[in-house]
Amino acid sequence: MSASLPLERHREAVAAARTASLGMWIFLGSELLFFGGLLMAYLYARTHWPQGFGQASARTHVVLGTLNTGLLLTSSALVALAVACQGPTGRGRWVPWLLGAGAALGTAFLAIKGWEYRSEWREGLFPGPGFALKAVAGAELFFVLYFLLTGLHSVHLLVGVALLVAFGRGTRKKRAWAAPRRVEAAALYWHFVDVVWIFLYPLLYLVNRHG
Amino acid sequence: MAETHESAGFARRARRLLLAWVALIALMLCSLGSAYLRLEPWNAVVGLAIAALKSAIVLWLFMDLARAGALVRIVAATALATLVLLLGLTQVDYRTRRPAPAPLQPAQQLRTPSGALR
Amino acid sequence: MNYLENGHSLRSWLGSTDHKRIAILYALAISAFFFVGGAAATLIRLELATPAGDLVSHDTYNRLFTAHGVIMVWLFLIPSIPSVLGNFLVPLMIGARDLAFPRLNLLSWYLYIAGGLIILAALFLGGVDTGWTFYTPYSTMFSNSWVAVTLAGVFVTGFSSILTGLNFIVTVHTLRVPGLGWFKLPLFVWALYATSIILVLATPVLAITALLVVAERLWQIGVFDPAHGGDPLLFQHLFWFYSHPAVYIMVLPAMGVVSEIVPCFARQRIFGYRFMAYAILAIASIGFLVWGHHMFVSGQSLAASMVFSLLSFLVAIPSAIKVFNWTATLYKGAIHFDAPMLYALGFVGLFTIGGLTGLILASLSLDVHLTDTYFVVSHFHYIMVGGSVMAYFAGLHFWWPKVTGRMYSDTWARIAAVLIFLGFNFTFFPQYLLGVQGMPRRYHAYPPEFQVLNLFSSAGAVVLALGYLLPLAYLGWSLRAGRAAGANPFAATGLEWTTPSPPPTHNFEHLPQAPDEVYGYDPNASLPEPAE
Repeated sequence: MSASLPLERHREAVAAARTASLGMWIFLGSELLFFGGLLMAYLYARTHWPQGFGQASARTHVVLGTLNTGLLLTSSALVALAVACQGPTGRGRWVPWLLGAGAALGTAFLAIKGWEYRSEWREGLFPGPGFALKAVAGAELFFVLYFLLTGLHSVHLLVGVALLVAFGRGTRKKRAWAAPRRVEAAALYWHFVDVVWIFLYPLLYLVNRHG
Repeated sequence: MAETHESAGFARRARRLLLAWVALIALMLCSLGSAYLRLEPWNAVVGLAIAALKSAIVLWLFMDLARAGALVRIVAATALATLVLLLGLTQVDYRTRRPAPAPLQPAQQLRTPSGALR
Repeated sequence: MNYLENGHSLRSWLGSTDHKRIAILYALAISAFFFVGGAAATLIRLELATPAGDLVSHDTYNRLFTAHGVIMVWLFLIPSIPSVLGNFLVPLMIGARDLAFPRLNLLSWYLYIAGGLIILAALFLGGVDTGWTFYTPYSTMFSNSWVAVTLAGVFVTGFSSILTGLNFIVTVHTLRVPGLGWFKLPLFVWALYATSIILVLATPVLAITALLVVAERLWQIGVFDPAHGGDPLLFQHLFWFYSHPAVYIMVLPAMGVVSEIVPCFARQRIFGYRFMAYAILAIASIGFLVWGHHMFVSGQSLAASMVFSLLSFLVAIPSAIKVFNWTATLYKGAIHFDAPMLYALGFVGLFTIGGLTGLILASLSLDVHLTDTYFVVSHFHYIMVGGSVMAYFAGLHFWWPKVTGRMYSDTWARIAAVLIFLGFNFTFFPQYLLGVQGMPRRYHAYPPEFQVLNLFSSAGAVVLALGYLLPLAYLGWSLRAGRAAGANPFAATGLEWTTPSPPPTHNFEHLPQAPDEVYGYDPNASLPEPAE
């Protein structure tokens, strides 16, 4: 219980937690602007080639995309629960398992994404000389941005999975470096990756499904 | 005494997370469904609005922005405002340019001049 | 034991998380890059001394001015005051033992070095000929030079910047000594805080832009190519969204330095402290709204150009407030013309000239004629060299005793300051005239009627170069044989002056007390001992 810690150590712990959290939020702010540049390219391209974007988007795998969205939302909830389990709740044992489950769902996301990419390659949807929709103006640009956005997102997701695996191990072995404030910071990063995908989902999969 | 207090607090929090998750999945399905309805030109708006709502849930409840203190909320708001500025102020250019698009043509250049990784 | 004595091995330096040692690591690195960029400038001015393009080929010339820009902007100016003076002083000024994330600070340095080495590698392989601005479609489709490698280096140094900014923001929020409220902070800390916000928000946009150019160059993705449905101007919007705030990254810390020096050597509190703080924040914010003034003739819409022109006028207001307040600080002060003060006053004058010419360029109707001429070149050199570099030297001289524990020869320092001031003006003032007369930038040959002014400029550059070399001599000498500086040789206010020179590794023996007022100078108090 916090009441039993020496006041000084408690103050330092609170300060350290605040520092770690603030640092991660600022980093996420910079990441938002990093993705933001790609979103700007997307905004330009979609407003200039609305038909092409609609037709191209219809060729994405909406079932897999939706499934992936669900996986990531669920993993985010589990990671949030893991953070809630920290501290004087008596449920510290759950933390490694929840983090591991989050990582597992994230890995499943990446596997499905890889499957989508393979399928898109087979269907000739990779931009380049062999692009299947060359006759549709803007379609190739859509897929350029699709691969850039989901690719960059996947790289971030991979980093997130690595973080969750590391902290899952660290909390299970009760390592000092896997302190609650760091788990919380890693969780913030994971949620950010989720938020990015929340926006990518309608922007890439749902441009025009009724056409 | 303290233990049940902590336990009750945890149960409350866990319940809130569960509700948030349910809301997120429901919103995702709404987003999917709305895409199949003919709502032009509102399809994009609806999709983005739902995404914004989902993000707000993740930010507020998962990322605990509600309890994180004013400074963190200002950090998040500032980053978002900067992104909106980037997207919005460039639109002043794009919306007021008179487009004269060239017909789609084969690329003039397929490789960089030397072909090598430069 | 002071921080310099705390370990003498290479490892103790290269593995140190002490913000003071990291500051020195940065100082050495940026100095080296400064001379590489300066060498490029020397060749440029040698070529331009005569109208004919006879020293180097046009292609080599393009690579020279690109190298000069890339190195000076990203490897010198951006890190100079924040990563050297900021790193050393921010914790000291707020009474902290180190930055919030000391290991992240060391990582920032390594990222900077890695990026710098990649850029140098590209230079040795033959360099880039696109200009530091990398405009598409030339950079993505036609340039036969090391664009991708250079941008990879820029990308890496960008992350160094972001992490440094992050570190400073968290530090200022969480590690201030009790009682040190925001309105008791030195303006240098305010300046670095605002700079850090820009670093964190703007640099990522540069990073993604660099990535896109590399992708377009390697795989012809087409976002900047109209034949593929893209837009070359998309690059310029993205690039300048970063690069305009970047100039405030270069100038705000400089203003912070000047705000520390002028009160000290006028022995008066800064005039209008709160307005100075608000002006810093205003410059940082408005600076994000004006990037389109780099694109007036690019094909941007007229409406957008007008909006950007108007917004660019606005940013002059807080800058002017600062100039007025520095001047007002001098009024009825007891002014001492020590070397730091000479540099600081040089900043005020030259920044004013640069700022006024900035207003000229912000005027859409005038810019249409002046863009891509030497008028623009002179404008930004007045701000960045006459402004930022001078302020960096000012800070170097002001805090040298604190960092090294030694005094330098103030006489020689003043000689260098005067040489730099004169050399600078002889180099760059003629360039305003050349610009108005129509001489375009980035050309290695020019019509004979421009020769006289170009010759003046090149001659001035010789004086400027001498001025820059001189500090190597007397500062180097001070390290060997300089008089021991006390804790506070200039009788300055600020917590950094309350600890010994050089400071102990953990900065303070006892937690310092927040001062009653931030610039508690009294012009009537007894004068500090003059330097040697």
